[in-house]
This record gives sequence, structure tokens and C-alpha cells, in this order.
Amino acid sequence: MIKRNIQLSDFEQRASPGDAAFEVFEGELRRFIQDSVPFGTGLERDDSDEQEARFQRLALALFRLQHRAVGPLFRLCQRRGIAPEDIGDWRAIPALTTTAFKDYAVTSLHLEARTRVFHSSGTTGHRPSRHFHSAGSLAVYEASLLPFFRARLMGGVGQGKGEFTFLALTPDPAEAPHSSLAHMFATVIEAWGADDSAFVGAVECDGGWRVDTAASTALLRRCARNGRPVCVLGTAFGFVHLLDAMHQDCLQCALPPGSRALETGGYKGLSRSVLKPDLHRLIGTTLGIAPTHIVSEYGMSELSSQAYDACVPASPLARGAVDPPARGATNSGAAPGIETGAPQWGEEDRRLSAGHSAGEPAPAGARVFHFPPWARSVVVSPENGIEVRDGETGLLRVFDLANVRSVLAIQTEDLAVRRGTGFDLVGRAQMAEPRGCSLRAVAVAT
Amino acid sequence: MQLPDYFLADIPDPTALSPAVLTDACLALKSNRRRFLANRTTADLIDVVARLAEDWMDSDNPFRREALEFGPAATGFSPETIAAGLDAFFESLTGENLRQLVLQDLGHPHRLERLTAGENEPGRERLGFARGPELLVHIAGGVLPNPPLVSLVLGLLTRSAQLVKCASGTSFLPRLFAHSLYEIEPKLGACLEIAEWKGGTSALESVLFAQADCISAMGEDATLTAIRERLPPGTRFLGYGSRVSFGYVAQEALSKYAAPRLAAAAAEDVAAWNQMGCLSPHVFYVENGGTVTPERFAEMLASGLAAREQFQPRGPLPAPAAAAISSRRAFYEVRAAHSNETQLWSSFGSTDWTVVFESDPRFQFSCLNRFVYVKPVANINEALQGADAIRGKVSTVGLAASGTNEQALAQCLAQWGVTRICPLGRMQRPPLAWRHDGRPSLGDLVTWTDWELPSRW
Repeated sequence: MIKRNIQLSDFEQRASPGDAAFEVFEGELRRFIQDSVPFGTGLERDDSDEQEARFQRLALALFRLQHRAVGPLFRLCQRRGIAPEDIGDWRAIPALTTTAFKDYAVTSLHLEARTRVFHSSGTTGHRPSRHFHSAGSLAVYEASLLPFFRARLMGGVGQGKGEFTFLALTPDPAEAPHSSLAHMFATVIEAWGADDSAFVGAVECDGGWRVDTAASTALLRRCARNGRPVCVLGTAFGFVHLLDAMHQDCLQCALPPGSRALETGGYKGLSRSVLKPDLHRLIGTTLGIAPTHIVSEYGMSELSSQAYDACVPASPLARGAVDPPARGATNSGAAPGIETGAPQWGEEDRRLSAGHSAGEPAPAGARVFHFPPWARSVVVSPENGIEVRDGETGLLRVFDLANVRSVLAIQTEDLAVRRGTGFDLVGRAQMAEPRGCSLRAVAVAT
Repeated sequence: MQLPDYFLADIPDPTALSPAVLTDACLALKSNRRRFLANRTTADLIDVVARLAEDWMDSDNPFRREALEFGPAATGFSPETIAAGLDAFFESLTGENLRQLVLQDLGHPHRLERLTAGENEPGRERLGFARGPELLVHIAGGVLPNPPLVSLVLGLLTRSAQLVKCASGTSFLPRLFAHSLYEIEPKLGACLEIAEWKGGTSALESVLFAQADCISAMGEDATLTAIRERLPPGTRFLGYGSRVSFGYVAQEALSKYAAPRLAAAAAEDVAAWNQMGCLSPHVFYVENGGTVTPERFAEMLASGLAAREQFQPRGPLPAPAAAAISSRRAFYEVRAAHSNETQLWSSFGSTDWTVVFESDPRFQFSCLNRFVYVKPVANINEALQGADAIRGKVSTVGLAASGTNEQALAQCLAQWGVTRICPLGRMQRPPLAWRHDGRPSLGDLVTWTDWELPSRW
């Protein structure tokens, strides 16, 4: 670690807003979330002037609170010569890089209120990001998570408590207390999970995650036998572990119609990497889950809201058919008004080289990530920080109103193609290494 | 300018390149070598190369104009950066320098022609003859055009038939150079081949490895290992792995008047080939205690880069490379907002150039494209401790010092394992006779015949 001169700046001398101010904001946010959730229509973004004005007002109000209460944000603004009253538009709110969460406590929570911390996953030896939470901020996290998860994943199933079986390929929060993903899955299972829902991941001694494939297949078989649809939740590498193991044992499973899968995140060297369309195809052939019922999630420990690239249709026509739809077939199963149709098999490819280069329109049927209405993504040019045009590649910046006690504007290191108000992921900037004969660059921070 | 389809890399359809086509090309190269190259004299070949280099310095040369017009799209470098790089390279390619190189590495100007005794070698009871490989294959690794061009020149001197295998999309400048040689000496051009394919295409590479008697390769260590493992026994392998470079500025060099000049020279080193080469600096270590502080030097370096941007712009970057710079800047900007032990200077509204001042002396890899670190140190020991992780992997140190200290610092760096020390401003301009990664480039290509004379002589 670097030695630092700790200097008392203006920040320490300011009056920080108290918890009460944040609680008032949280109340407004909850009302905004409630009003934004048109259940059953897939939560298409409402770009009405009214919605925009409300987002604007909340974002600016939250920024002003955070500016006074979150040291790293205050100092960043001070360095840039920005006063909160200078900012009149949410897009102009200074975004704090995710890497700042490694060096500094990006939080307005007092030490004793920080009851939970989420770490970014990463390779051994790298310092993780730390996103602090209190009971209150976790409640906001859950208030953001559940309605949008329900809209995107829970179409066509009973949404009462205990009505649906979930299989999470991650460890449970007791075993992985610093994983925001484990917390997310636990929250979902707590809300709707039947008693036979299970976490089948375990933490290895090197910190990596392993999937108990025997327990997974046992649960999947039971569900298949009983005709109970199941929702499999996991990281991409968790799915690959499971599917590889099933493939090795020549196992296939035709899960009951209505079964679905949510996959998220990269591989981080923990299993062989598989391109997303291939992974979705594998999930289809091995578990019998229809492509319409496989959703990708984008989230990170530094955020409190999630983006999804599809919406499981509620219509009974799309009942988890195992056979892929013919190329060019219309997505007959999708409910009217759903913005993201099913991908055509084999045509979805998120690599930059695969035709998603700057300026190109999204291929027909391509899936696009969207955040809920209370979080917005902007793809900015890495050259100048200005939002790119539709179809162009840049860095993803997220404005998440549910990040109440940290900072709402987050600058990620993820490269994305702008697709209207959504985005398409193409990779992570720090992985991008310039060609040349120099030694491979290592990560900045140690 | 319409280049004829003379080399394999000229053929637009990559599927046209089959193992059979490549085998025929290798056999033709060897045959042409026997007919047109094997019996040329060194003086004659040096003359050809020197004329060629002179042509390339001429701004009206159509090959040079082609390089500057279409090079930016093909290589990603701005025309000014290409021009500066070509000038630095071709300036060094003089008859005098080529003769020096032969003398330095082989001990006698005629060593490649006949058995001779080196005039300055001990004992004259033994004569030596140096013979180049029959087919010399170069596997070019990076985006910089100079290394394959140097390789081609060395191979000409050793009278070798040569094939340069470029990575996909990187054959533009080697091709132009080969065409320019073909234009002035078609028979020599007939002994060269330029081909391009994706590394690891084993059907094609097996042909090369079977046909070549010497392979020289540049690239990452893993790539070199993979190549080495596939070579037949007896095929000579010269591997040039990944290297990094840094600068060192001693306190006595940091006078009020000298420092701006040094900073401008350092900026030249950073801007050359957009920092993409092994000889480009990632970090400048700057001693505390001079009239100009390391922070001030960093600021001057930033001014130097800003000034250079005006006449030698970096040029646009693909999104991932720009994103790497932007993400690192964001990281250091937050640190700089918290403590003056980190400071950041950067171009406004673009990623054109970035200087990070960081008090932590640990060596830091740059994300390149004109992104450089300045780190203050008490002395050379602190710098070398900071650079311990890259010990044995350092090519060049650009050194600014004076008097007896300069000698002491150079000696210290040499003993630590640095293979080249040069003044600031010349890091990306190695002389023709430099020992690449510490090895004699020409000397390593040849095989000797020693003739021990009978006593009656």
C-alpha cells in the first residue's frame, strides 16, 4: 500500500447530512420504484417527460447528499472544481470509478453502521472493491432487486412466497458473506423460493467457487420427475462446471416447461470459457431450457440494481420448449410489448469482432441489457467521456438511484455498445492489452 | 501506387496460401539465392542497402509516400509518428554503419566472402569464414515495422534467402520495404518473401520449420517457447522475448536550464512509435535533490508531450486501448484527489497523453500509447529495488546524468542486467550495431568455418 499524507480537507470540516436525510430520500425512491413498475409488461422504460423529470430530480438530490457525505466523491469534485449546484443534469454528475472502491471507503455510512460489505470478485492477490451496507441500505438494495427480477424472470409463474424452486449454483451468503451475488440469490429465494430451493456452490480454500454437481443433478432430476419447473441461477462459470460435469456423465435433463435460467458474469479463469451463445445453447441442450427462458444479468458489487438482457415471457405459448425455434421465426411466445425478443440460435455473439463494432445496428433479435427505470446506463467515449452515438462502443457508466449510501454515478471498466437506452457488453477495459512487444501489463493496483 | 502481386502477402485472398504454395515459395527462394545472392560481395550489398535507405529518406519516394498515406489505416500510427520512426531507422542505415556492424560482429569486412584473419584478433594462425543460413525465416511479433526491417537487412548481408512471416494485419511496412528493394534490385527482391497469417497456423508453420535452417522470432515468451518446441533438431533458433524499458534522471542533470530539454527528450522517447516497442519507457525514475524536483520534471514531461502532440500526434485508438487509458486515469485521478503523493497530468478531451507522478517506487507497467509514470527516488538503488520484478527483462535504460556519476550509474545498471543504456531521446533509436537484447544480431546469424593454418605458414 502506498503511504499517504492524510490531510484534513474542507471535507472533514463540513457538516455531513445525517442518516435522516438519506432516509427521506429512500422513501422517495421507494415511491418512484412502486410507480415505475407496471407489472407484467416487462418494465419497458418509460421515457416520458414526467418519468425523466422525476429521475432527474431524485438523481440531483441524491448527488447533493452524497457530495457532502462521501469523502472520495467530495474530493473528486473538489479536484475537478465542481460544486453540486453546478450540476443541473443527471448525466453530468461526476461518476466515480469502480477502482476507487478498492482504495477508499466510498460510503456515507458511519463505521458502526457498516454491518455488511460486498467485495468484487477477482483473481487472488488483487485487492477487491468494497461496497459497504447497513440494514437500511440492504433494504433499498432488495427493494430495487425484487420488482425488476420479478418482471424479468418470473413471467408465467406463481409469485407467492414459496411457490417456485430455485437452484443457485453459488455458495449461500453464510459461506460467501461478501458476495453481492450470493446475497442477491438469497433475497430472491427468500421472496419466492420453495422449500426445496438450494445453494449448491461451495468456497474452495483458494477462494474460488465450486459447484456440487451431484447435489445439482439430484435436485434437477427431482424437479423433472415431479414436473416442477425450476429456475437455475448462477455465474457463467458455475453453469459451465455443471454442464461439463453432466456432459461427462452423459446426463441430460428435460426440465419441465416454465423452467428458466439466469446467468451472470465472466469466468475469471475458473473454468473453460464459453461464448455466451454457446453457453445458452448448452443450457438448452443439457437442461432443456428454452432460449426464451434464459436471461443474462449484468451486475456488480458496486451497484445496487441489476440489468437484464431479456424477459421471460408470461405467455403459456412459450413453455420452455427444448427445440430451438427455427431461424427467422418470430418470437411467438413473447408477450406483446416486450422489448427484447428471443435471440435467434447461434446469432447472438457479444464479441466486438463479431460485427458489433462501432456504429453498427444491433443484429435483429439481439438482446440488449436494460437497467430498471431507477437506474440508467450511459455508454461514454473513453476519449472524452461524452455519450457515444447509438451502435458505438465505449465505457459503461451507470447512474443507480438505489446506490443511496455510496455513490449513484459509477464509472465501470466495462466496454459496451450503446443500443438505444440499453447496452450490449463487449468486454472489460483492463483486459484490453495494447499490442506490441512489451511485457503484458499487470493490473494497476496491488 | 499499385503494387504488383509479387509477395505472398500481396495476394488479397488469404486462403490462397496453402502449405504447397509455401513449400514452392521456399524452394524458389533458395534457388534464387543460389543464382542471385550467394556470390554477391559484402561491399556491394552494403551499397544496395545504403542506397535504398537514402531513397526512403527522400520525401518524394513513392514507397515512403505510400507508407505515410496508407500507413495510418494499416498500422494505427499517425503519419507524423510513422515519418519520425522511418527517419530514425533509415538515418542509421548508412554504408559506414553497415561496415561497422560487420566489423564489430565478424571482425573483418570480408568475413562473409572468404577465409580471412581478423586484423585485431589475437593470433594470425587461424582464418575464419562466416556463413549465413540458406533460408532465414523471421517471425515478426509486434506492430513496429523496424525490427523486421533490421532483420531483413542483416539477412541480406549474410546472403540468406529470407521469409518474413508477419502476424495478421501487420505486413504493410515490411511489404513496402520489400517492394522498394525489388524495384532497385529485382534479383535481390527475388530472394525475399513476405507472408502473413495468424500465428499458430500449424500446417503453414510446419512447412517453414522444415525448410528453414534458422528461425528468428520476436514475441511473447510463451509464443517463443511454442515455436522452439516445434523446431527440428539442428534448426537454429533466435528468440527475442518481451522486454521493457525505463528512464533514469540523476539529480545533477536536473538543473533549471537542462531539465526542460531533458523532459522534451523524454517526451520524444514516449511518443516514438506511441510507446509500443520494447525500447519505449514505461517509467522515468527521477532523483530527488536536484534543482528541479521530480514533480516539476513530471510537469515538464507533460508539457513536452503536449507540445509533441501538436507536431507528432498520437492518432486515434481503438475503443479497448482508449478505455484502458481512460480507466487508469480515473483510478489515478481519485488518488490524486486524496493525496499529493499521486499527481496526474493528461490531455484534455482525449486520451492522447498522460503523465502519472507516483511516489511509490515500484515499477509500473504502462498501458502504453503515451501513458507514462514518473517516480521519485533517492538514488539508483531505490530505483532498482523498485524494478526488481522486471530484472532480467529490461532492454533499455535512458540515462541522464553527468560526470563521474554517469559512469558509476551506467556500470551499476550494466551489472544489474540492463542490456542497453542510452541518452534520453534516443531510446527508440538504437544504432544499427546495437546488440539486440545483449546479443550480437549479425554474429548470431552466422556459422563459422575455422581454418587452423599448418605451422609452415
